[in-house]
Amino acid sequence: MDATGQLVAHFFRQHSGKMVASLARVFGMAQLDNILDAVQDTFETAMSHWRYNGMPADPPAWLSRVARNKLINIINRAARQTTIEAMEASIVAAQGETPPVVEDEEAADSQVQLLVACCHPALGERDRILTTLHVLCGFGVPELANALRLNREVVKKALQRSKSTLRRVNIQLDPRAAKHAAENSATVCTILYLMFNEGYKATRDAKGINMDLCYEAMRLAKLLRPIAPPAAEVDALLALMFFHSARFPARIMAYGEWVPLAEQDRRLWDRRLIAEGFHYLECAKRSGCAGKYYLESLIASLHCAARHFAETDWKAILGLYRLLEGLEPSSVLIRLNRLVAESYAAGPLAVITELEAIPYDADSGTVFLLQAVKAHVYQRAGSTAQAHIAYRAALSLAQNPLDAQYIQKQLNTLYT
Amino acid sequence: MKEFLMLIREESNYGELSAEEMQACIEKHYRWVETLKQKGQYKEAQPLDAGGAYIRGKQKIVSDGPFLEGKECVSGYYILLADSLEEAIEIAKGNPDLDWDRTVEIREIMTMEDA
Repeated sequence: MDATGQLVAHFFRQHSGKMVASLARVFGMAQLDNILDAVQDTFETAMSHWRYNGMPADPPAWLSRVARNKLINIINRAARQTTIEAMEASIVAAQGETPPVVEDEEAADSQVQLLVACCHPALGERDRILTTLHVLCGFGVPELANALRLNREVVKKALQRSKSTLRRVNIQLDPRAAKHAAENSATVCTILYLMFNEGYKATRDAKGINMDLCYEAMRLAKLLRPIAPPAAEVDALLALMFFHSARFPARIMAYGEWVPLAEQDRRLWDRRLIAEGFHYLECAKRSGCAGKYYLESLIASLHCAARHFAETDWKAILGLYRLLEGLEPSSVLIRLNRLVAESYAAGPLAVITELEAIPYDADSGTVFLLQAVKAHVYQRAGSTAQAHIAYRAALSLAQNPLDAQYIQKQLNTLYT
Repeated sequence: MKEFLMLIREESNYGELSAEEMQACIEKHYRWVETLKQKGQYKEAQPLDAGGAYIRGKQKIVSDGPFLEGKECVSGYYILLADSLEEAIEIAKGNPDLDWDRTVEIREIMTMEDA
């Protein structure tokens, strides 16, 4: 709680992850289902009591105590019905092995290990994102369905499947597992990167950016930071996320229209977030690992450093995209980004031949972007007819109203 | 100053609310209750458990009552202080429960002095 008696932003969501993690450490991942139930039930109880009587003096301690008691009740009830395993768990609980409030450091440590568990390679990529958001960030089924644009039944089934997989692989959440957590931080970074992108992609939905997903990805990356080896590039990932989120306010207009980089009002960029991005970029620099996230965050930093679009250091950006391309030669997305940078660094005519040579690959997920880039480059080269054809093609490939609206607007500007 | 009982009716399961929604709900109520206290309009309030029983008639038949999941039931009460029913209604209109489409019932508590 802050000085005015208000809960900090996202208090419930963050405590949900903390409580699940510390309970999972004591009672074991086998109890994950019961733990999630107990925590959800605790929030409902909090909602009843706090609504009418105001908040307790120490909300986190209150939540931890209630959740622990609820879990013990659930386990005892199940134990009466059978299973030795549950009996043992309840004995551990009865002995009161942990104090109800865990120290921050231990809570963070449990959360990191739980995060690594939720990003277990036995789960598919999408399931890892869903499980992480559900277990560590307190996202319920309807919220997940909404955030990842999935059907509720699909989400429910995915969570059930993931939880049973996690039970089967029987992960230990204790200090002995810390080494395991460190070894797996690179895959965790991939999941957090994807989670952030899911939130960012939502810009292209009519609803605007899903800041919640981006915010959670950043919070979890900060948790991972102390234990991850330099090669996992957590600092660079954080820098990248901060630079991107700084530009969110300018990316979309109040009435829900996508604003391209060149036209964004840079006064709307959040200077505080940019500063934090540079802080993490410095840390990343010191780590000496120039991987994918480092290169991407450098590119983002160059955009953030330019006061006007015209001041953008395209030569430097082009060089960085070339390095990125070297890391992932098969990525069409990176290649297209490099070509855009090149079209600004060397002029639109310099890239047309290569753009035209890119094969049409319906499965690459980049066909819309390819047409949009072509159109943009042709338009700047003064080839109105070719630009028109490419814009028409892009329009037919647009997956959502915002993209379509943007392309239509560009088409209209062709003849003015 | 008269006392008024305000009953809150809502569905007995809040399971569909997300962590963020629950937090928002608590915060709005918290702020509202603080204002009531400052204005001297708040006496007390308590939540009621969704479980309970009906006991009916001479036979004293006990039943679960309408506390099944998803059914609307009384989830809590407030005792408000106001000079008139009209004033109490105005106060009750500020209850954030209404923003969640819940129903609020307001009744004057009769005391011996009113007789």
